Amino acid sequence: MTPEEVLARLDAPLSLRRRVGYLALTFTGLTASALIGLLWATEPGLPMRTNVAFAVLVVIGLCWAAFGGWAVTRRTPLFARDRVVAGWLGVGAWVAFSVGALIISLLRHDLEPALLGVVLLLGAVAALNLRAAHRARAALLRRRSVLAETAKGE
Amino acid sequence: MSDELLVVRCQLGEREAFAELVQGWHPAVERYVGRMLGGSDDDVVQEIWLAVLKGLPRLRQPDRFTPWLFTIARRAVLNRLRDAYARPEPEPIDDLPGDDEAEEVVNRETLADALAALPAREREVLLLFYLEDLPLDACAQICAVPVGTVKSRLNRARRLLRHEMVRKGYEA
Repeated sequence: MTPEEVLARLDAPLSLRRRVGYLALTFTGLTASALIGLLWATEPGLPMRTNVAFAVLVVIGLCWAAFGGWAVTRRTPLFARDRVVAGWLGVGAWVAFSVGALIISLLRHDLEPALLGVVLLLGAVAALNLRAAHRARAALLRRRSVLAETAKGE
Repeated sequence: MSDELLVVRCQLGEREAFAELVQGWHPAVERYVGRMLGGSDDDVVQEIWLAVLKGLPRLRQPDRFTPWLFTIARRAVLNRLRDAYARPEPEPIDDLPGDDEAEEVVNRETLADALAALPAREREVLLLFYLEDLPLDACAQICAVPVGTVKSRLNRARRLLRHEMVRKGYEA
């Protein structure tokens, strides 16, 4: 087997588009499930079949999120650049959830402090995750520069 | 370009760096697998590179890439040689490395020819120490044993190798 054949066989886990796709799937599933769950929780007096429909939609969203999460942790590696992309996607998902939650709350004329707390907590998690990803990438970039300079000097 | 720089570039997500890493190390991986298993095995080589790709983001010491790579390769080979490794290890030999006259006749070609007849543990240390030129501490890290055990295995391996080469009619 030649190195080129090895690389050809590793095409799927090496594909950046595929990794970003899995990440987007994870965050979309999570955000959709959270918003549907919020709608479900704030809608009073629903008939049984509507409850079942909401539950099914939430489970579908969670399944997609679980699949995406499994793929990015087990099937493909997440490199420093991917972690930054994941961090931004996380922030995007938080913004989408926050806007959705705000609209739902405004429609209900009722802003729950608990919901506000959850939104702030998720925002903090997203921001910290993005910061950690940036710092990890910056550390690697610095190391790359040092090693490249050393290699030039030799 | 140093392996450490290539590894760091890989960890950043540069696909071309991984291609360079594969091109640089694939012959060694293939040689190790082929000699440990007594023949080439594309599935094992593929398994090793997939594990390397998945593990690269978590490699804390990029300067220790070589022993890390061979640890992964060893694990993959171990899965194929489980029966050979399951046999109990013989008693250690006390003499020091370098005292054995077989060392004088060990060279890459003759070693490669006689390796197939050696037990898996001894074959492994000979491959890593002589064919891959890895230091004793790296061999110990890869095999997950103390350095003393590596020395002992090397002694035993050289003795067995000498017997094997004499048996095959090789004269020092």
